[in-house]
Amino acid sequence: MKKECIAMLLAGGQGSRLYVLTSDVAKPAVPFGGKYRIIDFPLSNCINSGIDTVGVLTQYRPLELNGYIGSGQPWDLDGSTGGVHILPPYQGAKGGSWYKGTANAIYQNIGFIDMYDPEYVVILSGDHIYKMDYSDMVARHKAAKAACTISVMEVPWAEASRFGIMAVDGDDMITEFAEKPKEPKSNLASMGIYVFSWQALRKYLTEDEADPNSENDFGKNVIPAMLNNGEKMAAYRFQGYWKDVGTLDSLWDANMDMLSADSGLDLTDDSWTIYARSVNAPPAFLGAEAKVTHSAINRGSDLEGTVENSVLFTNVTVGKGAKVSYSVLLPGTVVEEGAVVEYAILGGDSCVVGKNCRVGGAPAEGEDKKLAILAPGCCLAEGTEVLPGIMLGKNGEEVSR
Amino acid sequence: MNGLHGIIFSYERRNDLRELGEIRSAASLPFGGRYRAVDFPLSSLVNAGVTDVGVVLHGRYQSMLDHLGTGKDWDLSRKRGGLKILPPFNYQKEWGVMPFRGKIEALAGVRSYLENIRQDYVVLMDGDLVANLPLADVLEQHIATKADITVVCANDSFTIEDGTYFEKDETGRVKEVLYHLQTPRGHRSLETYVLSTKLLKKLVDECYAKGQFSWRQDVLLAKKDELHEQCYIWSGFATQMRTVKEYYDRSMQLLDPAIRKELFTPERPIRAKGADKASTYVGPEGCCVNSLVAEGCRIEGNVVNSVLFPGVVVEAGAEVCNCVLFKETTVRKGAKLSFVVADKHVEILEDRTLMGHTNYPIVLSKGTKV
Repeated sequence: MKKECIAMLLAGGQGSRLYVLTSDVAKPAVPFGGKYRIIDFPLSNCINSGIDTVGVLTQYRPLELNGYIGSGQPWDLDGSTGGVHILPPYQGAKGGSWYKGTANAIYQNIGFIDMYDPEYVVILSGDHIYKMDYSDMVARHKAAKAACTISVMEVPWAEASRFGIMAVDGDDMITEFAEKPKEPKSNLASMGIYVFSWQALRKYLTEDEADPNSENDFGKNVIPAMLNNGEKMAAYRFQGYWKDVGTLDSLWDANMDMLSADSGLDLTDDSWTIYARSVNAPPAFLGAEAKVTHSAINRGSDLEGTVENSVLFTNVTVGKGAKVSYSVLLPGTVVEEGAVVEYAILGGDSCVVGKNCRVGGAPAEGEDKKLAILAPGCCLAEGTEVLPGIMLGKNGEEVSR
Repeated sequence: MNGLHGIIFSYERRNDLRELGEIRSAASLPFGGRYRAVDFPLSSLVNAGVTDVGVVLHGRYQSMLDHLGTGKDWDLSRKRGGLKILPPFNYQKEWGVMPFRGKIEALAGVRSYLENIRQDYVVLMDGDLVANLPLADVLEQHIATKADITVVCANDSFTIEDGTYFEKDETGRVKEVLYHLQTPRGHRSLETYVLSTKLLKKLVDECYAKGQFSWRQDVLLAKKDELHEQCYIWSGFATQMRTVKEYYDRSMQLLDPAIRKELFTPERPIRAKGADKASTYVGPEGCCVNSLVAEGCRIEGNVVNSVLFPGVVVEAGAEVCNCVLFKETTVRKGAKLSFVVADKHVEILEDRTLMGHTNYPIVLSKGTKV
C-alpha cells in the first residue's frame, strides 16, 4: 500500500533525567497535562496533519507504552491501510541487536518503511510538548526540493549553545550544523523533527550502518554526512509553543504552562485536538470545603482541600484541610487530610501522602525552585516530612540526582 | 448457550421531560456529568458478562445512534454478537407514525432477531433506567428460584410517571401487579425482567396473535398465577427519570458521596463515550464547591451545588447555583443562574438572571441564547 508520507516516532528512550518517573515506563509514556501522556502530542499531530501511518520504535520498558497505544483507536490510527505500528528490535536469521542509535533504529525498520513505499518520512521523537502541522513542513520540503528538512525555532542567543544550531542562507537552506556550539553562528535550534525524502535517507542509513565508527545517530552522523555531501537541506521555521520535557524541572514547567493561556500552550483549541486514551471514571467532585484555584482537574478526582496553581491528573484525592500548591499530581495520587504539598511532582499510581505530611516547599526569595519528587507508588506515613529538592523512590528510599 | 442476552428498549418519548425530551428519547438523556441514561443499562449488562445486546428503537433516535456508534465504548463491537441496533424492521404499521403500544409490539417488530439469540436467558431493560444493577446476581437468583420471570424492583413505592408496582408474598413471589395508581404501593418496578429465551418467544407469539401488546397487562398481570413471577429487590440508587422534576432531583442526589460510591462502584464501572477535551480549569478567581465537574470546563466564576457536563464555561463574576448544565453551555460574565437545567450549547448572556425553583427547575432547550 503506497503512502506519500509516513511518520516514524522514536520512543525507545529511557529519559534518565526524569529519574523515578521513568523507572518503570519509557519517557513517551510519562503523563502530562492532566490527562495526556507525552506521546499523545506527536501521535495527535500526525493524525491532525493527515499522516495516518506511524511506526513507533520502542525499546526501553515498553509494556505500559504498548498497552497505552493499543490498537491506536484513540488517535484514529487504527485504519486498515495504515495506522500505528509498534516496532521493537527483533531477531533475524543472522541474529539481531538492540537499537544502537536513532539512525540504527530506523535502519532496522527499512523493511517496514519500504512496505509503504513512501516519498517522504517524518522522523519524530516522543519527548516534546508542541502542536505542529507536519503537512506544512512536508510542503516546505517539497517546495525546496530538499533531501532533508529540519524544523527549527529561534531560541534566545544566550541559550543557543545548549542546542543543535543551524546556520542558514537567505533561502533558509541549511549551510552548517553544529551540535551544542560554544560560539553559535545563529539562534536557530533544531527541534529534533525531520522530514526526509525516503530514497535519500535510505541511502544514507545504509552507508551509516556500514561505517563502524558511526554512533548511528541522526544529529551526530546522518545529518552531518548529508550536509558534507552537498545534499539540499532546508530549515522549516516553527513558531509556537515547543518544550523538551526531558527533565523534572522542564516537565513541571510545561505542566504549569498549560494553566496559563499566555504561555502559548493551548490545549482547548478544537481545531487541533490532542487525543488521549482516557480513563473511565465519574466526573471530578469538588467538596463543600474545596478551594481550587488556577488549577487543572480531571475525572475520578475527589477534592475536599485547597488546591492552587497545580495540575491534578485523573483519580486524585485531596483530603479535608490538605493544601496542594505549585505541584503536579499524577494519576491516582492521594493527599490525605491536613497534608501540605508545595513545589512537588507526586508520581501517582497510589502514591499516598499521609495525614499531616509536608512535602516540598516554596523557594526562598530570589532562589530557584527545588522540586520534591515522589516516585509512582511511594507511600508516606502520617506526619512525614520531605524537604524541597528531595526525591523518594517507590519504597520511600532517597534517590539522588 | 448458557448466559444472558440483553434487550434494551429505547423508544419511549416522555412528554414530561419538557424541552429535554424534544430532541431525544429518554434513554439518551444526559445524566451525571458525562453519561447518557442508556450507559447504565449497557454497563450493567457488560459488567455481568453479557456480550450480545439489542437496542430496540423507534423515532427520535438520531441522538441515540450517534451515542451508541458501533458499541465499542462498551466493548460491544464484536464479530459475533455485540451491539445490534433494532429499528422495527418487522413492524406492520406505517413507519414512524404510531409509537409502539407496548413492549410486546416492540418485540414483535423485531421477531426474527429473537430467533437468532444464542443465549438461554434474556434480560429486558428500559433504556432510561439509571442504576448500577448486579445482573449476574439477578440471573443467579432467577435460576436458583426456578422462576419463569424475575422482575427487578426497587425497595420503595416511589411515585413515577406511568410506573408499575409489584406486591409480593413472603417468598418473594409476585402476588399483584399494579399500575395507574393514585397512591403507589408495593415495590416500584425497575422494568428489568429476566426470563428464558424460549419463554420470551412463546409469550411474544401468543400475545401478538391475540392482538395483545402490553407486557405488564397481558403478560405480567394476566399470567401472574399461571407463571412463577419472582421479585429481585434492588436497594441501591435507581431512577427512571420521567419528569423534569425527577431528573433534577436525581441529578442533585449525585452530590451525595454515598450515592456516588454505590452508583459508580469500581467493581462495576459505568462506561461512557469519551469526550476528547482538555483538563478542566478553575481560574484564579474561580470558586467551585459541592459540584460534579466533567472535563474541558473553564470556571472563572462561582459554581455551587451543580453538575457540569464537558466543556461548560462559567465566566468571571457569573454565579451558577443548584444547576445542571449540559455540554458546552456558556454562562457569560455576571450572569446568575439558579435551579436551571440547560441543554447542550446554551448561552446565557452577560448579566442575565434566571431563577427557577426546586419544585420547578427552568429548562433551557438545546442551543438557546438567553
